[in-house]
Amino acid sequence: MKRKLRIYMPFINAGLQEATTYRANWFFFIIGNIMGCFVSYFIWNAVFISSGEGTLRGFTMPQMVVYIFLIFLTSTLIGSGGTYDIGEEIRDGSISMRMIKPISYNATFLFQELGNKIMTVFVIVIPLVIGVEVCRGVLMGGVQFEIIPFLIYLVSCVFAYLINFFFNICFGFIAFVIKYIWGANMMKNAIIGFLSGTVVPFSFLPKSLETVFLLLPFSSLNYTPVMIYMGVYRGSNMLFYLGLQLFWVLAFWGLSKLLWKIATKHLCVQGG
Amino acid sequence: MKTIRRMLRMHRIFVAQELKRMMEYKGDFLVGIIGFLIGQFFNLLFIWIIFSQIPSLMGWSIEEIVFIYGFSLIPKGLDHLLFDNLWAIGHFTVRKGDFDKYLTRPINPLFHVMVEKLQIDALGELIMGIALICISLPSLTIEWGIVKILLTLLVIPFATLIYTGIKIATAAIAFWTKRSGNITYMFYMVNDFAKYPAGIYNNLVKTIITYIVPFAFTAYYPASYILTGKDPLFCIGLSVVISLVIMVISVLIWNRGIKAYESAGS
Repeated sequence: MKRKLRIYMPFINAGLQEATTYRANWFFFIIGNIMGCFVSYFIWNAVFISSGEGTLRGFTMPQMVVYIFLIFLTSTLIGSGGTYDIGEEIRDGSISMRMIKPISYNATFLFQELGNKIMTVFVIVIPLVIGVEVCRGVLMGGVQFEIIPFLIYLVSCVFAYLINFFFNICFGFIAFVIKYIWGANMMKNAIIGFLSGTVVPFSFLPKSLETVFLLLPFSSLNYTPVMIYMGVYRGSNMLFYLGLQLFWVLAFWGLSKLLWKIATKHLCVQGG
Repeated sequence: MKTIRRMLRMHRIFVAQELKRMMEYKGDFLVGIIGFLIGQFFNLLFIWIIFSQIPSLMGWSIEEIVFIYGFSLIPKGLDHLLFDNLWAIGHFTVRKGDFDKYLTRPINPLFHVMVEKLQIDALGELIMGIALICISLPSLTIEWGIVKILLTLLVIPFATLIYTGIKIATAAIAFWTKRSGNITYMFYMVNDFAKYPAGIYNNLVKTIITYIVPFAFTAYYPASYILTGKDPLFCIGLSVVISLVIMVISVLIWNRGIKAYESAGS
């Protein structure tokens, strides 16, 4: 364990340095996304005013605001860029450099990204959580924050991140088929955005579709943590969805190992 | 006159080169087009879902919203198709020192950057935009006159230049900071506000998207003129003026930026 940590520490460091070097650029990215949240906010606000009703499909306007910002927070926390990185390495052949080193391929990516995440956690999680809580407190009257659901939310986010990480690694192998990884990645993001509840809460979909979406791996990404934070999933229900998350972590971890084995047999790097 | 002819000829050469490059990975370029189509499809699904809850959004019918949305994709798609290379400047060209290439050639660097690439992915947006306009038109009662048709055709290139101008200005920031891709991204997110009627926003947001980052002139204002026939002077006239002002300012920023450019040493 100690030896492992020593091996991967430099990767964490590299990720953190990368994040801090271009922090201004990163910061603008976050501001851009927060503006996207405000677009959603105004649209939903108009929808609630136009409908003349206090509750739509189980959501009040304050709950919808909380939902929008929590989805943003969660997707920033669990975001993973594996597809692009691994895809580009397959395309340009630099993946061979990773193969000749006696360290785990997945782990190097994972630790580098974790280093990157350190900044995310400190710079945006704390202000956003405070913001969401103040907003909840003002809109719903009184303090809504509960420590236990919040801690379970963080655990759920870790699961969600791992699912996202391994899924993205798996998807990165698409570079063997499609050379235009940027395009493939964008297509994937559009689809997952919808399947993970980022675009619209599942309760706005037809019942049968909602059931299917809840069982697909993508609801485990954003939707499950947010539902836990908001207190919708409680007790045995919550345990079921946490179990489902764990199942998908293992499934995609296994799949990524398998694909890696197959890929190393088929990889053909030209030139050098 | 001679320079314009020369520029047009160069543009043709660059486009031909770009098409050859695309043919190298046949089928791959479809990925991008389909990707953008799918992205827009889900946005549309979102509009459809919210309209299943309400009869109209602040007085706008679903057809009108779809029309505004579809119209917003036309200038955006055109800029994306023709001048996408500006994104690369802020993301990596300057940082890696690759910008040297543009400075050593006997053409205006800005012109070179702009025409070097043709981004075929944008067809996804253009196809969707045209489709949405065609779908929504039959159920809308728009009075078409010759003036309105001419003004519509006039405003599209100018609306496109609003995008291009903002991209030039934000890409040029990289000359000082090495990396500005996400500043462009941030401005593009403001653009999402413009796809919906300005009436749904509060005054602060309305002021910002009208006068400060005037994306509302790329979509909502021109589209609302087409729909209602009201305020052509504001909706179309100001679009043209703003687009020209933005272009002038951004070219000035760009030219100052090039002077500040230092190549990456290696």
